[in-house]
Amino acid sequence: MHRLLDDYAHENGLRGVSPKLKLAIGAFSIIACIASPTPAVPLAVSACLSAALIALARIPWRLYIGLTAIPLSFALLSASVVALLSPGEALVSIGALRLSREGMWLGLLLLSRTIGGTSSLFFIALTTPMTEIFAILRSMGLPESLVELSMLIYRYIFVLLEEAMMVRSAQEMRMGYSSIRSSISSSAMLASVLFIRAWERGERLMVAMDSRCYSGRMPLVESHSVRPGHLAVSFIYILSITALLLAVIRGGSA
Amino acid sequence: MHIMEGFLPHPWWEIWFAASLPFVAYGVSRIGRMAREQRETLPLLAVAGAFIFVLSSLKLPSVTGSCSHPTGTGIGAILFGPWITSVLSTIVLLYQALFLAHGGLSTLGANVFSMGIAGPVVGYLVYRATQRFNLYLAVFLAAALADLATYVVTSLQLALAFPAADGGVLLSLKAFAAVFAITQVPLAGIEGVISALMFKYILQARSEVLLRLNVISKMDLARLQGGMT
Repeated sequence: MHRLLDDYAHENGLRGVSPKLKLAIGAFSIIACIASPTPAVPLAVSACLSAALIALARIPWRLYIGLTAIPLSFALLSASVVALLSPGEALVSIGALRLSREGMWLGLLLLSRTIGGTSSLFFIALTTPMTEIFAILRSMGLPESLVELSMLIYRYIFVLLEEAMMVRSAQEMRMGYSSIRSSISSSAMLASVLFIRAWERGERLMVAMDSRCYSGRMPLVESHSVRPGHLAVSFIYILSITALLLAVIRGGSA
Repeated sequence: MHIMEGFLPHPWWEIWFAASLPFVAYGVSRIGRMAREQRETLPLLAVAGAFIFVLSSLKLPSVTGSCSHPTGTGIGAILFGPWITSVLSTIVLLYQALFLAHGGLSTLGANVFSMGIAGPVVGYLVYRATQRFNLYLAVFLAAALADLATYVVTSLQLALAFPAADGGVLLSLKAFAAVFAITQVPLAGIEGVISALMFKYILQARSEVLLRLNVISKMDLARLQGGMT
C-alpha cells in the first residue's frame, strides 16, 4: 500500500503506448474472460498480459505476484462455496459437504476468470496513469461534474493518505495500537482528525482554485497517438484470444 | 466486501450495472446542480470522496486476524446523504479496483449497488429514524447496519448468480452469508463504534461543519454541548 500502483503507471516501459489502446486491450480481455465457458481463455489472457507486464512494462515480478495474491484469497473462499453447492454426482464427500465433478469445474472456472480479470485490471492500472484515463473519460462524453469530481478526489487521495500515515505512525509510537481497546479509540481519533483536516483543506482548495480563475473545467492533455507497431501487436493478441474463445465455445457445444 | 473481477457471470454483471445506473445518474445530476448553484461544494465533495477512500484503506483491528477494513459508506451517508454518497462510492470503488485490485470493472455495478446504494440508504434511514433518541447510538446503528446491509446484499448477489443444486438461491444465500459472517459481523460492530467515537470528536472540534451539512440541528448541538461540559 505504501507504493500505490499509480507510481508504476508513470514510469513503466509501456508508458509511451496510446492509453486508448491499453484501455481497449484491458476491456477486451475482461469481457473475453467472463464470456469463456472454460478456464483456457482466462488463463491464456493472464499469461499474455502478465508476460507483457513483466517483460515489456518491466514491472518487478515479485511485486506482481504479491499483488495478484490479494484478490485470489477472496476468490478461493467464494469459489469453494460455489463448488460445494453445485449439483451433480458426489466425487468426494466429508460429512454434509460433497464435491461433485461439475462443482469442481465451476469452482476452477471462476478462479481462472478471477486470475484473468485481475491480470487485465493490473494491465490497465500498472501501465496507464489516471490523468490519461480522465482524458479518455471526458472524450467519451461523461458528465463534466463527474470527471471533475473524480480528478479532485484522485488528487486528494494522495494528500490524505500521507496525512493518515503520519498520524498513524505518531499514534503507534505512543502505543496507540497496543490493545484492541486502544486501537479502536486510536482508529476513531485518526478518522476524525482526517475528516477535519480534509474539510479544512477543501475550504483552502476552494480559495486557491477561485484565485486561479477555476471555471469548473480543468484542461487535460492527450498527447499519445497510436503507433502502427503497437496496433499490429494488439491486433494479433485480440485476434488470437477471439479465435481461442470461439474454438472453446464450439468445442463445448459439439 | 467486494466481489472480485471475473466472479459474476453473464447476465448478472450487466443486471447490477443496470440496477445501479439510475441511482448514480440521479446523484450525478444533483451534484451538477449543486456545483452550479454553490461553487464551493465541488472541492468539499472531492475531499469527502478522498476521505472515504482513505478510510476504507485503513486496516482495522479484527477478531479473526484477517485484514478487515471499514467501508466508510455509513458515515458518508450520514454526512452527505445517500445520493451523493452513491456517486462518491462509485468513484472510490473505481479507484479501489484500479489501485488496489479490490473489486473489479465488470463487477463494479454489483459493488456499487451493495456498497454505494444499499449500505448508504439503510444507514441514512436508520440515522434519520433514531437521531431523536440518542445521537451517538444513531451513528453507531447507522454505520453498523449499513455494513450489514452491504454484506447481506453481496451475499444475495453471489447467491442469485450461483444458486445451489437442491435448495436454490436460499440455501446458497445461507452458505455465502455464513462464510462471510465470520469477518463481516464483528467488523460491522467495530465500524459502528469507531463511527460513533469519530462523531464525538468532530462535534468537539468542529461542530459547525455538522451544522452546515445539516446533519444535526442547532437544538441537538446545544443539548449535546451542554452535556459534554
